[in-house]
Amino acid sequence: MNLSNNLPDCSPLNGRESERHALRSITRRHFFDNCAMGIGSLGLASLLSDGKLGLAADSTAIRNPVAPKPPHFPARAKSVIFLFMAGGPTQLELFDYKPKLKELNGQAIPDSYTAGKRFAFMGTNDHNNKLLGSRREFTQHGKSGAWMSDLLPHLGGIADDLCIVKSCKTDLFNHAPAKLFMNTGSGQFGRPSVGSWVTYGLGSESSNLPSFVVLQSGPRGPRGGAVLWGSGMLPTTYQGVSLRNTGDPILNLSNPDKVNPDQQRRVIDAVRDLNLKRLVATGDDEIATRINSYEMAYQMQTSAPELMDTGKETAETLKLYGISNPNEASFARNCLLARRLVERGVRFIQLYHTNWDHHGGSTENLETHLPAISKEIDQPSAALVRDLQRTGLLDHTIVVWGGEFGRTPMGEVRDSTGRNHHIDAFTMWLAGGGFKPGISYGETDELGFGVTQNPVHVHDLHATLLHQLGLDHERLTVPFQGLDVRLTGVEQARVVREILA
Amino acid sequence: MMNTTPTTQKRLRYLHRTWRGVQTLLAVVLLLGVTGRAMADDRPQRKIEYNRDVRPILSENCLACHGPDAKHRKAELRLDVRDEAIKKQVVVPGDPQASELIERILTEDATLRMPPASSKKLLSMRQKDILRQWVAEGAEYQKHWAFEPIQKAAPPDIANVSNLVDRFIQGRLAEDGLTPSPLAARETLLRRVSLDLIGLPPTIQEIEEFLKASERDADAAYAELVDRLLASPHYGERWGRWWLDQARYADSNGYSIDAPRQIWAYRDWVINAFNTDLPFDEFTLHQLAGDLLPNATQSQRVATGFHRNTQINQEGGIDPEQFRIDSVFDRVATTGTVWLGLTIGCCQCHDHKFDPITQKEYYQFFSFLNNQDEPSISVYAPGVDPAALGMRLNAAERDLTTYFKDRTEAIATWEKSLTDEDKKKLPGPVKAAIDTAADKRNFAQLRTIYAASPHAGEPEFRRLTAAYTDIHLQLYGVPTTLVLQERGQRRKTTIFIKGDFTRPADEVNSGTPALLPALENSTGQANRIDLARWLTSRQNPLTARVIVNRVWQQFFGRGIVETENDFGAQGMPPSHPALLDHLAWEFMERGWRFKELHQLILHSHTYRQSSLEREDVRAKDPRNELLGRQRRLRLEAEIVRDVALTASGLLSHKLGGPPVFPPIPEGVTTQGQGRQSWNVSTGEDRYRRGCYTFLYRATPPPALSVFDGPDGYSTCTRRIRSNTPLQALTLLNDATSVEFARALEKVIQTEGLAACFRRCTSRLPTPEELAVLQPLDPLSVARVLLNLDETISRE
Repeated sequence: MNLSNNLPDCSPLNGRESERHALRSITRRHFFDNCAMGIGSLGLASLLSDGKLGLAADSTAIRNPVAPKPPHFPARAKSVIFLFMAGGPTQLELFDYKPKLKELNGQAIPDSYTAGKRFAFMGTNDHNNKLLGSRREFTQHGKSGAWMSDLLPHLGGIADDLCIVKSCKTDLFNHAPAKLFMNTGSGQFGRPSVGSWVTYGLGSESSNLPSFVVLQSGPRGPRGGAVLWGSGMLPTTYQGVSLRNTGDPILNLSNPDKVNPDQQRRVIDAVRDLNLKRLVATGDDEIATRINSYEMAYQMQTSAPELMDTGKETAETLKLYGISNPNEASFARNCLLARRLVERGVRFIQLYHTNWDHHGGSTENLETHLPAISKEIDQPSAALVRDLQRTGLLDHTIVVWGGEFGRTPMGEVRDSTGRNHHIDAFTMWLAGGGFKPGISYGETDELGFGVTQNPVHVHDLHATLLHQLGLDHERLTVPFQGLDVRLTGVEQARVVREILA
Repeated sequence: MMNTTPTTQKRLRYLHRTWRGVQTLLAVVLLLGVTGRAMADDRPQRKIEYNRDVRPILSENCLACHGPDAKHRKAELRLDVRDEAIKKQVVVPGDPQASELIERILTEDATLRMPPASSKKLLSMRQKDILRQWVAEGAEYQKHWAFEPIQKAAPPDIANVSNLVDRFIQGRLAEDGLTPSPLAARETLLRRVSLDLIGLPPTIQEIEEFLKASERDADAAYAELVDRLLASPHYGERWGRWWLDQARYADSNGYSIDAPRQIWAYRDWVINAFNTDLPFDEFTLHQLAGDLLPNATQSQRVATGFHRNTQINQEGGIDPEQFRIDSVFDRVATTGTVWLGLTIGCCQCHDHKFDPITQKEYYQFFSFLNNQDEPSISVYAPGVDPAALGMRLNAAERDLTTYFKDRTEAIATWEKSLTDEDKKKLPGPVKAAIDTAADKRNFAQLRTIYAASPHAGEPEFRRLTAAYTDIHLQLYGVPTTLVLQERGQRRKTTIFIKGDFTRPADEVNSGTPALLPALENSTGQANRIDLARWLTSRQNPLTARVIVNRVWQQFFGRGIVETENDFGAQGMPPSHPALLDHLAWEFMERGWRFKELHQLILHSHTYRQSSLEREDVRAKDPRNELLGRQRRLRLEAEIVRDVALTASGLLSHKLGGPPVFPPIPEGVTTQGQGRQSWNVSTGEDRYRRGCYTFLYRATPPPALSVFDGPDGYSTCTRRIRSNTPLQALTLLNDATSVEFARALEKVIQTEGLAACFRRCTSRLPTPEELAVLQPLDPLSVARVLLNLDETISRE
C-alpha cells in the first residue's frame, strides 16, 4: 500500500543529523531484524521511505496490526456483507412454502415432532402447539423456480442470483444468546465475532476505513449490543466499528468545535513529531504503531464523511435501492453504504435491521408488521445484489441474509398472530462470492419443522464463509486458555461444498 | 498486540481439531531455536526431563486419545500415567526396543504408525529421538510443575546483589550472557511506581520533592515513596480495579435487556479491602462464603457479590433455570481461572483433555456453588443499626396508629360527607382505602385516608408523619447490593451430559479435584467455607502461585507464567520457576498480604531498572522474557482518563459511592435493545476516576472500551493492550478529551508550557521537544500533550 500521495509534511525533522542517525539505526534494528508483526505501511512507513530520513526506499517495515495477510489458499471472495435480520425472520411466510401446513392449520402438531424439544416461552400461555398455515401467496421465480412469497417481489426478481439455504440450524433459542451464536459460533461471551475473525485472518485492504463495519436500522438496536461485533479475546483492533446514522458516522470523527482543519493537522503533526522522538529515545516499536494509528485516524476523518455522502450517487442508483432521501437513515441507505464500503476495500460489513420478532403482539405480528418490514428490506437487498453485480463487485463479495433463528410452524395468538422462535429449520440466502447462484439447498419436512435433507448448521455456514475468503476454519485459530479457539467450535463443522460454484 | 506472532503461529502445525495449546509454542520455540537462546541441541548429552522435554510432545500429539479423557480414550491406553503405560508394555523403562511406543512411532508401516495419519500430526526426528532417549533413560515421569508443592526456593548467589528477586533474575540473565539495565531515570521511576500503585501520575510538587529527597538518599527516598503510595486511599482504587476485572464487575444485567443493577457496594468493599490490606485468604473467604460465616456482618455479606457479577437474562420467553445454571457454570469457570489458574470450565461437557480433571469432579466443584439464593440486601452506612431502626419504625407506626384511632370518628364523619361524585374524584389509592371496610384497613390505608382528609394539616399529624417517613427512609431508602445467601434445603447437583442441563445424570456431592490436596471439612457436608479454605490452604500448590504471578504481571506487563489463566499442561511453564515459588512462599509466609508482596517486588533492581530497548537484549531475548530491562506499557483504559484528569487539574479525589455518568457521545446507550438513560453527572462527579464510570455491559462507555476496558461478560485476568486509530480519534476529538485540554490550556497560561509537559509525562521537555510545541496555540499544545504516546504510557 503506498500512501505517499497523502504524505504529511515532515519538515520539523529536517536537518537534524543526530536524530536521523538514531532513527536510522533504531528503525533498521527494529523493523528489519526482528519485526514480528505483519509488515505494513502507513504514514510513517512512507515518511521513513521517502528518503528524507536517509533510509532505503524499500523500508516499509512498520508495524500495522491490520496489514493485509495472505489467505491460507486462493480466495473466491474478499468481502462479506451480512444482512442480519435481527429478531428471527419467519421462513414460513417468506421462503419455505408449506402447503401441508396450510392444510393442517389449527390442528395440534403431532407429538412426534416436538417430543423432547424446548422452546422459548415454554410453560406460559403464549406457548402454543397449534399449527399455523401461512396466509401468504407463494410463487416460483426465475429459471431456478425458487419459491418466494408475495412479500418479496424484488428478491423474487433476482431469484436466479441467490443461493437459498432452507435447512439452517442453530443451537440457542433466546435472542441474545442466539445472536451471539450466529456471530461468534458460541453462546459463551468473550468470543470474537465473524468479522473480527476475518479481519484477524486477512487484515484490511483499506488504509483509511475500519476493516469491520456495523450499520444499524430499525426502531432499536439489536439485542446483545456491542458484544455482537466484539473481538472477544482478540485485541480491539479487530472489533467492529459501528457507523452511526446521526452525528459523526464514526464516534469522535469530527474535529472538535472551534478547531479548524489547519489546527487539527498541526496538532497531529506535532503529536507525530514528539512520538517519533520518543520512539528514538526508547526504542519501543509500539510507538511506531501509535504513529500509524494517528495517521489512519486523520485519514478516516476525510474518508468516512466522503463514504457517507450518498447524495453523490446517481438518481438511478438511488431509485434502484428505493431511496427517496439520501440523507435519511434507513436499511436501504445502509445497503447502499455497504456497496460503497466494499468499493473502498472494507472487509466485513454487517447490517442489523430490527425487528423481526413476530410473536403476534400488537406491534410485531404477521398481519401488518411483517409486510411492512419485509417491504423495508426487499427492494434494498435485491438492489444491493444487482448493484454489486453491475459494478463487478459481486464476484468477490459475499452477501448473506438471515437472522439468529427462524420461527415455528405452530402459531402464537396474542393480540394478533405470530410465531415462536425456532432453531431446527430456517432459511438464509447467500449471493456472490463464489456461491452457486439460482439454487435452493436443503429440505424441510412437510410442516417446516425439521430438516430432512442437507442440514447446514451455523458452524457449517461459518466454515463455508471462511472457505470462500481463503481461510481454513480449522487453521484460523487463536490460543486461549490452553485451547486453539476457532470460530467453528470443537464439534465437527464442514464446508458446504454443494452450494459453491 | 497479541504476544503470539503470526510468524510463529505459522510454524505451528494444525492438529487434531482445536486441541493444541500455547505449550506448542514453547516446544517449537525451544526445539527450533527461534529465540536464539540455548536449546536442547547445544547440550545433546543432558538427561531428558519429562516436564521440559517429553510432556509437551505427549500433550501435543498423543493425549487427546491416550490421556485423561476416559470417554475418548483409544485402546484403553493412557500415556500420561506411568503405571498405565508400563502395565500395557507400551513403555518398558530402559528398553526402547521392547517398548511399543517407540516401535509405533518409528515404524514404516503407515497403518501402524502413531500418531495416525488421520490426526494430521507428525513427529519430527528430534521428537522421536527425545522419546527414545527418555525411555532408554528409564522413562521417568514428573508431576506437572504447577501441581507440585510450593517449595521455599534458594536463590543463586550473585556478587553484590542481596535482593532475592534480583538474584533469581540476574542468575538467569547471566546464563544467557546478559546483565540488567541501569536504574531508570528518577522521574521515570517515580511515574512508574505511582501509576502502578495508585494509578495516578505524580504532581509537580511530588516530583520535585522526590528529586530532592533522592539527591540526599535515593534508596531511602524510594522506600519512603513506596510506603506513601501503599498508604494512599487511591491504592485501593488501582488494585481494586485489578480484582474487579477478575470479578467481571459491571453495573448492568447483561444479555439483551441489560437493565441497570446496584452492586457498587461490592466494588467499594473491594477497594476498601485493598486499602486495609485484608489478607488474601480472608479476602477469598469473605467473597466466596461471607454469608456462611457465623454472625456474618454486612460487610462479609456484601463481599459475596463477587459471584453475583454474573449476567441475568431478563428476556421474555426464557427458562430461568437454564440461565441460573449458566451463571453457575460461569462461577465454576471463574473460580477455576481466578484462584487456580485452571481451565476447569473445559470439563463442563467432558473429562479434561490435558489436565487430570474429570467431568464428575467438575460437577462436584459445581455443587459448592449450586446451593444459594441470589437476593439483594440493603447496605447501611457504618454505625447504622437496622435492627434499632426497625424498632424505631415500629414505634413511629404505633404512635400514628394511636393517633388515627383517637380520631376514628372524625374520619368517619368526613367519609360520610363524601358524595359519590366526590369519591370519583379521589386518587385511586385513597378510593381503594375508603372502599375497604373500616375495621379491615391496614396502616398504609389509614395513613392514606388521613392524608387525603381535611385533617391532614394538623401539626401533630404532620410531626408524626415526618418522623415516620424519616425513619422509613433511613431503613429502606438506602442502596442495595446483590449477594449470595446459602439455602437451607440443598439443591441436588448432578452431572449434566455434555453440559446440557436438560440431561441430568448421576448425582454428585461437593468435592475438589483429586489431583490437588484433599479438602478438609469439619462439618460433614462441605460448603463454600471449606472451598475457600481449601483454595487458600498452604498445601494448595496453585492459588499462591497464580495470584503472585498476576501481581507480577501488573508490574512487568507479563507474568512469570505467561499464560496467566492456564497453569495446566497446556499452559506455558514459568520463565523463572524458582522465583515464582519464592514469591508464592513469601506471600503465604507473610500472611497473604498484598502490600508485603508489592514491597518484595518493588524494591528489586529488576523493577526499578530502565525500560529502554537494548541492542543486546533484543538480539538474545527479543521478547524480553528474562527481564534484562523493564517494559514500557500503555496505561489501562481508566488510567488513561485519570492521567488526563490529573494533568488538567480536574480530578475529583472522592472515593467510592454510586457509579457516575461522565459525558459520553450521544447515542451510545441506544446501541443495544433498550435505550438506557445516561443523565450526565454534575459537579465533581463529572470528573471522577475511570473506575467509577457506570458500566453497561451491552453499551460500554466508548472511551473505556476503546482502550480495552473489560466488558464484564467473563473474567478478565489480563488486559489486552491494543493500539488503534479509534483510540487516536478518542483522544483527539472526544468532547471529554477537549474539555480536559481546555482545562490544561488554562494551566499552560498560568504555569507555562514546560510545567504542563511535566504534568503529562512527569518529566521536563528537551529543547527540541519544546521547539515542536512552541509554534502552536495553547489549546493545540494542550491537545498535543494529552495525545502523546508517553502521556498514556508508563515507561
